[in-house]
Amino acid sequence: MRHTIQQVFRSGKFVVGFFILVAMLLIVIVYPLIVTYPPLQIISQGTFFPPGIYVNVYDSIGSTRYTLNLENAAANRIASKLSNNDRHAMKDWLVAAGIPENEIDINDTEQLLGLWKGNYDPRVNIAGMTNAQRNYYIRLNNSLQGLLSTEAVIIAARNADIGALQEAGVINPSDYVNVNQVPNVRVLPLGTNSFGRDVLTELVKATAVSLQIGFVAGTIATLIGLTLGLLAGYIGGLVDDIIMFFTNLFTVIPTIVLLILISFSIGQEKRGAFTIAVVIGFTSWVWTARAVRAQVISLRNRDHVNLSKLSGHSVAHIILTDILPYIASYVVMALILQISTAILAEAGLSILGLGPKTTEVPTLGLMLNWALIYQAPILGKWWAYLPVILTIVLVTFSMNLMNTGLDQVFNPTLRE
Amino acid sequence: MSAHKKWTSLFALVMIVSLALSCAAPTPEIIEKEVVVEKPVVQTVVVEKEVPVEKIVKETVVVEKVVKETVVVEKAEALPRQETLYFNGFQWGPVVCWNPYSANCNNAMAIAQGDNARVTMFETPYLYNMLDGKQYPLLADGDYQWNAARTELTFKLKEAAHWSDGTPLTAEDVAYTWATHVKYNTPTGAANKEYIETIEAVDPQTVVVKAKLDENGRAVNPLIVAAYVSSNYVIQKAWTQKLEERTGGDATELLADTAEDVVYSGPYHKFYTDDTKVIMVRDDNYWGQDPSMWGKLPAPKYLAHMIFKDNAAGSAALARGEVDVSQQFNSNVHLLWLNYGLPISTYLPDAPYHIGASLPTAFYNLKAHGLDQVAVRKAIAIAVDYPTIIANAMTNQSATFEQVPRSLMNPTPGEQAMYDHEAVKDLQWVGNDIEGAKKLLDEAGIVDTDGDGWREYQGKKLSYVATCPNGWSDWQAAIEVVAAAGKKIGIEITTNYPEWAVYQTVVTKSDTPLPPGYEIFMMWSAGTGITQPWGRIRNLLSSEWVGMPSNWNGNWGGYVNPRVDELLKAIPNETDPAKLKEMYTELVKIYLTDVPSFTLMYRPELFHTVNESVWTGFPHQEDGSVPPIPPMNCINGWSIACLYNIRLVSP
Repeated sequence: MRHTIQQVFRSGKFVVGFFILVAMLLIVIVYPLIVTYPPLQIISQGTFFPPGIYVNVYDSIGSTRYTLNLENAAANRIASKLSNNDRHAMKDWLVAAGIPENEIDINDTEQLLGLWKGNYDPRVNIAGMTNAQRNYYIRLNNSLQGLLSTEAVIIAARNADIGALQEAGVINPSDYVNVNQVPNVRVLPLGTNSFGRDVLTELVKATAVSLQIGFVAGTIATLIGLTLGLLAGYIGGLVDDIIMFFTNLFTVIPTIVLLILISFSIGQEKRGAFTIAVVIGFTSWVWTARAVRAQVISLRNRDHVNLSKLSGHSVAHIILTDILPYIASYVVMALILQISTAILAEAGLSILGLGPKTTEVPTLGLMLNWALIYQAPILGKWWAYLPVILTIVLVTFSMNLMNTGLDQVFNPTLRE
Repeated sequence: MSAHKKWTSLFALVMIVSLALSCAAPTPEIIEKEVVVEKPVVQTVVVEKEVPVEKIVKETVVVEKVVKETVVVEKAEALPRQETLYFNGFQWGPVVCWNPYSANCNNAMAIAQGDNARVTMFETPYLYNMLDGKQYPLLADGDYQWNAARTELTFKLKEAAHWSDGTPLTAEDVAYTWATHVKYNTPTGAANKEYIETIEAVDPQTVVVKAKLDENGRAVNPLIVAAYVSSNYVIQKAWTQKLEERTGGDATELLADTAEDVVYSGPYHKFYTDDTKVIMVRDDNYWGQDPSMWGKLPAPKYLAHMIFKDNAAGSAALARGEVDVSQQFNSNVHLLWLNYGLPISTYLPDAPYHIGASLPTAFYNLKAHGLDQVAVRKAIAIAVDYPTIIANAMTNQSATFEQVPRSLMNPTPGEQAMYDHEAVKDLQWVGNDIEGAKKLLDEAGIVDTDGDGWREYQGKKLSYVATCPNGWSDWQAAIEVVAAAGKKIGIEITTNYPEWAVYQTVVTKSDTPLPPGYEIFMMWSAGTGITQPWGRIRNLLSSEWVGMPSNWNGNWGGYVNPRVDELLKAIPNETDPAKLKEMYTELVKIYLTDVPSFTLMYRPELFHTVNESVWTGFPHQEDGSVPPIPPMNCINGWSIACLYNIRLVSP
């Protein structure tokens, strides 16, 4: 046994796959211990907040203020509001409004803004301008307000007694706060999704659930396949015929069609993660059964089996002690593949809207499904779907890699 | 083993690649909007040739090739982009028929009768304008006149109006249309015959609509009579007679007739339809180019509507400029112009982007345990986080309840002026009031007695299911937020999303109590129209719907209040604005006190997002049009005026 394990860990492919999987398992187990937010809590008011560090503005007003005299602060401030395209667009508008082109220098921010301020009027109807362009100029005009100001901003609070605004603080353009000193900071490494949930926290939970679905479904499928394969292969005769009849029947029906039909007929209300796992398990045992049967048939007439028969051991005893150990390595490989197939099957079902229902548990497939419904790909909100796809890829990749590694160790024809 | 492994790896690869593709790349480009013409003719030729089977097959192949080539030629010439206005969001499946008497033609580009009737092919005497609440004459000549007793409504028809076959459109057609609706009990007939006695032609140009009278000799409902003239099409008498003849007077057959030969009066008619598209073409002989109406033809020669798989596909097409006018929910629509700089705009430049018109509402099953208690109903309603619903589920495409305080009115200024805001101020809530909700429940004695964290009423835990149809994504997202509110105030609310087919059967069956699983459920309410807000309030609160075996009107929770019924009966005959305001205010008060249902968000009557890559001049706020053209996709009610205003960006 120890020797076998040593052998297995000498396979480079297996080791890589194994470490990816263990790393993912560790993240799935450790992350919730460190980050204890409920994974399905709706935190953002609005959809698809981009990844980043969110600092509470209210708190930062009250935090210790530091003055940093940085050179590019003003330039950065202007650049964030006024891109090169904006400058060209402003020039276009001014030219259309009758300002001579040679008077406009788009690189001189002050002059450009001065001209803009003096001439722009949202009510002016410029021939050939679409409503979309008109809206653009209105937005641009609003965002330019106070852009060149070097004066401090005054914070005011309403006095509860007299109802008037009173000065509560002054913020200078050179004021900074240290993020570590702001009491409320939330890091959202993968932003939020269409429900306004923290994507990373939900992704970790979803990975856990998808792995569970994979384990449950894979175990069920392997158990069924193994039992039927052992019986059919060892007993043979009529039992074999009957079992193979059903196995062949299931082989010709595409699994995904069966899955869709069963999931649909169960109905949304009863589709929990566990139910889906069971459904997947009960529809994907077929090839395990066939393969195990083939292995058993080749084992059935070995000398040690015949000896065992002559010694008067029962069928169950022979199967468990004389046959099963010889195909154990094969069964483990089959299990690994079944798990990865089941995770993919769940994702496939959920994308069709036939996965587990949404309130209680997230799964990888459901996260993709909702990202698609809320058009994340069209809107360029990559964080809502790309990490999920990568997770699915990593899980199935690691398992397939482990499987290939095991195959190299155990399959005599592949042994180097 | 190895074969299977390969298969699995292949499956994984295909899966991943397809996921990546579906996510990263926009949906594949839709083939240009070609017109297939030759095919049927060619097929006939094949059939007529009596040759051995093999030869037919062979010939067919050749024929196919010819057809394909024809298509390529047609593709380039058939629908010039500069003459075609593309839509999405109306048509989700193939067209069934062109029969204006039927309500089941699934022909959204041509047939939709109602407050904002679709007037591309068939026309109504008047056009409703949701922005100012007025009816503008189309087939009619000038405003209609009520008689002193408000029992008879008279209007004239335009001399210029004529049918597509060139014959004049007369009062006889209007009268005969109504007579046919009644005779065959069409949906229009059934909905109006309690309110309209007859429609008569006084002379070829004059129509009189006589209202049904109640026991006091007053019209049963003058509002519905007035709404009729802008909601229902005028259909040609001669064609109707032809239709009756061929269907032998059988009502079912008459409604099921595909009416490919229908005669129409509107500016567009059928050009081509199949499973993927509907195309209408302009009738250059349209009567409306007469100076008494528009004075010219509408700008686009073709109106085309591709049939998209879902909203996401429709949005992608809009972003690519393959759709000019979009009547669908485009999630985070503002990002299309903010982040991508696309020439796309909505009616309002900023959130809520559209004019809210209807009130998607969560209904309570008033017979469920605990929900018969006002305290429980109100507690849930005030605890719900509406700002999150509006920001997340609607991606801010709805006014907030701070902007438009809740009542029974939609956010249009006309309706908002119809009740006394000050009088109901204390009753209105904006949500997120967890403490208030807890206090309300504590005061009503509905507390957690067994310490499990959930409150009990009469010893039984308060536990509900909140539901809406599966796949209705914005509603589902809203229902999730409702469920979250329950947890905060000690009432267990779980969510469930049945398929629409199941959901609609259960919810509209108002003659039996709702089954478990439907304690809190979402449905819609009426949008804009000449009968509003009365019609909407009637739908939400009237007890006349309770007990109906198939109730598509409203009050699905089973609310009964005699005072409400009384007010609803009195309003249609009331003409004094002050009294009307008083009555509406009382209704709002009752609604906000009893909370038989609660509005979750405001939703536009129709989404109206335009891409100005090809066409421009669509209605938008402060576009200077008089009367204002409503954002109704240029084909509904008065918004059809938009088709005469739009122009090419680069002619």
